[in-house]
Amino acid sequence: MLRLTPIGMPSRAWRFGLCAALCWPVLSCGGGGGSSASFASGSSTPTGSNVADIVVDAGPTSTKPNVNTLFTTVTVCVPGSTTNCQTIDHIQVDTASYGLRILAPVLTVSLPVQTAGNGASLVECTQFVDGYSWGPVALADVQISGESAASVPVQVIGDANFTTVPADCSSIGPAEDTVAAFGANGILGIGVFAQDCGSNCVSAAVPATYYVCTSTLCQATTVLLANQVQNPATLFAKDNNGVVVQLPSVAAQGAATVAGFLIFGIDTQSNNKSGNQSVLTVDPNSGDFTTLFNGKSLTQSFLDTGSNGLYFNDTGLTQCTASGFATFYCQVNPQGLSAVLQGQNGMSASVDFTVGDAETLGGNDPSLVAFATLAGTYPNTDAFDWGLPFYYGRTVYTAFEKAATSVGAGPYIAF
Amino acid sequence: MRKPRPTINVKKCVVSSALLIAALSPCIAAAALGEPETSVQTDAAGLRGSIKVTPHANYRLHEIQLPSGTRVREFAGSDGKVFAVAWNGPTVPNLRQTLGQYFDNYVTAAKAPHSGHHHVQIRESNLVVQAGGHMRAFSGLAYLPQAVPDGVNVGDLR
Repeated sequence: MLRLTPIGMPSRAWRFGLCAALCWPVLSCGGGGGSSASFASGSSTPTGSNVADIVVDAGPTSTKPNVNTLFTTVTVCVPGSTTNCQTIDHIQVDTASYGLRILAPVLTVSLPVQTAGNGASLVECTQFVDGYSWGPVALADVQISGESAASVPVQVIGDANFTTVPADCSSIGPAEDTVAAFGANGILGIGVFAQDCGSNCVSAAVPATYYVCTSTLCQATTVLLANQVQNPATLFAKDNNGVVVQLPSVAAQGAATVAGFLIFGIDTQSNNKSGNQSVLTVDPNSGDFTTLFNGKSLTQSFLDTGSNGLYFNDTGLTQCTASGFATFYCQVNPQGLSAVLQGQNGMSASVDFTVGDAETLGGNDPSLVAFATLAGTYPNTDAFDWGLPFYYGRTVYTAFEKAATSVGAGPYIAF
Repeated sequence: MRKPRPTINVKKCVVSSALLIAALSPCIAAAALGEPETSVQTDAAGLRGSIKVTPHANYRLHEIQLPSGTRVREFAGSDGKVFAVAWNGPTVPNLRQTLGQYFDNYVTAAKAPHSGHHHVQIRESNLVVQAGGHMRAFSGLAYLPQAVPDGVNVGDLR
């Protein structure tokens, strides 16, 4: 079933492969690694039961180092149990997906799978932009920092008890069912929506989404909202109207680790108050907003901690030529640029950013994994994907759909 | 200039061919990109979507609306072959069906060594595929550069 091969060369071939081949024997290491990341002076460290630590580091597998990938730690328990629990690190924090998903091989507790009336199991085909993840929908008590939610539908990806993938599911791309393919032990989707599918999957059995499976047969099914995989932060007893991601800025040469904070709730505690930030409401169906860039209106733009770079199209920038880098930008002299982000409410905010040279980021120091200037082309001319570099040096609010805050109702983003 | 004309609703035809295809299953593999225009009907049936056809100056646009809300658009030239497929919406369509013989190229590109998730971009002389977006909002375009009719701006294919 698994088709993604953890081949011998380090992943991130576009970076390390080239560097290992060309740079190491010749040059000495520059930069010195360490944490070249800092919060703005004057900003206080948030504390409290609603604050989780987040970190950008090389990820869970030493042979496949990640770049610009944000992680946190999540505890899952068998529902109702305080002892049958597991704390899992290196869960990717993703503001452009919805729901908690854990890779089966790292899971040591046995979470009960949701079943239909006839005993068949609820199994999901999760669609990602580069493939699918197949696995049952189980129930778990979820705890992150001091926040918790009971009996949350979560997905267990790559469960050995569910290996028959429906043709509709495998027809959207390759499987992404391993830690190596995923680059994480799981993924925590805390974007603006409460469920991964929403009302579409309540009214129709949408192909390549949810299935009821017996030991021999899977059938596409409708699923009530409450039974779909849920953004757990919407289910916490308190601090459940949104999240705040706070990361320090990253020095030009890059950083080996970047430590920040994931704060639950907006205007619910002294550490998550709305300030004078720009509040941009997003499309209630897609979560997207508009970016004005180079005279174009990019209406399918989004913020995404799960994207490792800034992805957009600018024919004025130099594209890389080395194998594996072709879709990235290689500005030998870093290029400063500016764009305006515009919400559906008409509110807008100007953002300055810098595009660097993807081929030489980090020099020959493989310990560096966080870069503020990593950028590449986007496959669609109507979008700007504001990936993790956008979050460096910012405090970014994500207000959930239907949630109320002191500066308006979600779904919105604010920074 | 493109002159959109009244659309032709062929939903009824699609439903009957769906039944026929179900009866003839598993012969449902016929796909669109690079295939004759008639395969769009097969796509619509296989995808369980409704379809409308709009003639343009240099091509015919077949638009398939899927139950999920995703819109698949297939562009056919005067030679009757589909030269481009675009999609946009909350779910990814059945790409094995819509990309046909080029689906394997897509899978290979999507599987290129990486960890985490990434966009998919193929730029070859005979095939361009661009797939992006995120959960609940996916979009993509696949086309055959050598088959794009004169007068058609690739940037308009979406």
